[in-house]
Amino acid sequence: MSLRGRIFAVIGIMVVAAFIQAGAVVLFEKARNESEQAMMHAEQRFDYQTRMNRVVVELESLQLSYLLTGVPAFRADFDLRWSEYSSLPTLLGQYVDDERDRLALAELDRRLQEWHALVSDLMDRRKQLPDVSKVVQDQTGPPMRQIQNEFDKYQRHDFALLHEEISRASHLNFWNSIVTLALPAVDIVMLLVLVTVLARILLDPLAAIAESARQISGGNFDVRLPPAKRDEIGALVKAFRDMSTAVQRRQRDLTDALSREREISQMYAALRTNAEQESARLQATIATVPAALVILEAPSGRVVLQNAAADMLIGREPDAEADRQLYWESFHASYRDGRHCPIDEWGPRRALRGEVVVGQEMIVKPQDGKTIPILVSAAPLRNDQGAITGAVAAFQDITNLYEVDRLKSEFVSIVSHELRTPLTSIKGSLQLLLAEVPLPDPDHRILMDVALTNTDRLVRIINDILDISKIEAGKLELNRRPYDVQELVNLSIQSVGQIAKGSSVTLTPIVPADMPKVNADPDRTIQAIVNLLSNALKYAPARSDVTIEARPEPPGQVTFSITDKGRGIPPDKLGQLFQKFQQIDGADTRKFRGTGLGLAITKALVEMQGGTVGVTSQVGKGSTFSLTIPVVK
Amino acid sequence: MKLLLAEDEPDVQLIARLSLKRAGFQVVTVNNGLEVLERVGEEAPDAILLDWMMPDMDGFETCMRLKADPATKDIPVIFLTAKVQESEVAKALALGAIGCIGKPFDALTLGQQVLTILGK
Repeated sequence: MSLRGRIFAVIGIMVVAAFIQAGAVVLFEKARNESEQAMMHAEQRFDYQTRMNRVVVELESLQLSYLLTGVPAFRADFDLRWSEYSSLPTLLGQYVDDERDRLALAELDRRLQEWHALVSDLMDRRKQLPDVSKVVQDQTGPPMRQIQNEFDKYQRHDFALLHEEISRASHLNFWNSIVTLALPAVDIVMLLVLVTVLARILLDPLAAIAESARQISGGNFDVRLPPAKRDEIGALVKAFRDMSTAVQRRQRDLTDALSREREISQMYAALRTNAEQESARLQATIATVPAALVILEAPSGRVVLQNAAADMLIGREPDAEADRQLYWESFHASYRDGRHCPIDEWGPRRALRGEVVVGQEMIVKPQDGKTIPILVSAAPLRNDQGAITGAVAAFQDITNLYEVDRLKSEFVSIVSHELRTPLTSIKGSLQLLLAEVPLPDPDHRILMDVALTNTDRLVRIINDILDISKIEAGKLELNRRPYDVQELVNLSIQSVGQIAKGSSVTLTPIVPADMPKVNADPDRTIQAIVNLLSNALKYAPARSDVTIEARPEPPGQVTFSITDKGRGIPPDKLGQLFQKFQQIDGADTRKFRGTGLGLAITKALVEMQGGTVGVTSQVGKGSTFSLTIPVVK
Repeated sequence: MKLLLAEDEPDVQLIARLSLKRAGFQVVTVNNGLEVLERVGEEAPDAILLDWMMPDMDGFETCMRLKADPATKDIPVIFLTAKVQESEVAKALALGAIGCIGKPFDALTLGQQVLTILGK
């Protein structure tokens, strides 16, 4: 039952009780009025009855006096008294409520009328009466005594009635007191009950909720709420519980958020410290690094930071926009081959466009006229969104490197020249001796051959060193032009002809017709093929086949494969084959021992022409070395 | 056929001279470019073999002067040099030389090479 229902029920009960109380009070009031009226009537009756009694006594006494004396005054009095009497029954009658009394009173009146008639007659006839005393005694006395008896009887009954009335009034008064005293008490009790009930069903839960609210506002969510009944308080308890849960959840969320925020701010502080340290470290690095470092902003290309090395190498950029353009152009930057480098192709500008420039060699001529070779490296700086915000550029003065490089080239060149001269003498002497001097002892001839062979080998080594040195210095220039594949193969075979002639190995070219022309430097390509061919001939077993095959694949290239049936190369050695000074042990012949540079030179020559080198081998079955050269487009 | 051979290195000069003699050439040897210019008039060689690097006057300058002089500009010049790189060969040909023979040369075929270059 809902709280509202319960409260209305209690109020309803109280209203009903109030109506009952009011009814009771009205009833009591009515009874009391009736009782008072009855008492008043009784009082009036008593009054009139006393008067009647007195009048009757006087009438009796006056008739007697007159009859006996005949004094007319008595008669007059008698008539006067009678006239007084004659209104009394009517007056009294209006106060007689009891039916029996009313009848008794009427009887009395009738008897008194009769008596009066008798007495009046007697008094009129008094003079004729023989014996008045006797008449009085016989004729008027008895009816009067009877009347008086009747009157007494009536009066006794009336007293009884009065007594009864008084008793009733007394009862009434008692209950009246009871009611007037008890009803407020009942009201008070009911009020107390009502208040208690209301307190029980309304205030207690409210107080509990208030206490809970106080606890919750103090941060204590571990509160006991009254059980949720299915009434308004129950709804309130439920709502309060939900609210408390929600508040608790919010508080927990808030606490979590605060702790997260604290974590984040700690992390942020740590990051900031870290970033500051990094920044300091970076600035120190930038300041002290020997390279000239410049940081430019996008899109203007203005220098925002540069280190001391940059100040020394390229000076300071002027502030005015027009001057800045002139400043950069004044470097007259050119590529290594001497071509002018337009200002927009300048490494930092390319970095501002998003390119990464690594180690680009440039020649710059700052105003003072010096020519400075520099290495330019530049990279764009991007923000989180990947937009270019600037560029960092490093310029390294490589004058010293150039000098070292030049000295090295010069050294290699001089050494090769200086070595060639005595080798020319040795080789020529040996050749002429061998040709001109008879050597009857075969051992002597062999020794002479050894000397000559090793001289040739030394020459090859010098040539290879010169080649590799040029390749590494980037000074090897290629003269590429469309060239016939068949021609390349033929010339290569021709070059190794001497080696092939001296062995029992058969060299077979396989070149399909209609091969596309390749875009090759013929001399260098032949050199590369010859390196592979001479290797194959060296390692091929006696009386075996070596093939050189050209195929128009992969697309855009021609592959030259040289296959021997030699002992093959273990897989773990394949990877190092094309590195410098790598040789497979145990060549079958001493005659054409390699320099250890052939494959490295081959690889470099092929790759410089846009091709690739490769090798497959099976131990015991042979090897296939291949190189590719791009076809003419 | 008479060849004027300019070579500063005595051993190489010897080998070259023997080698060419063996091939049937008449060989006059000098030690540097200056001597070439001095002797070229009186010797009137059919061809001149020039070493590239020589003291006093190197083969480069000698060749230039020979080609600049109307009296000698028609004598074929062949370089005999340790500088066998393409750029140097090209340079030699640009100067008016008709060929290059690299060092170390093949002593048994040197004469044949000269003849080949001379187109004979």
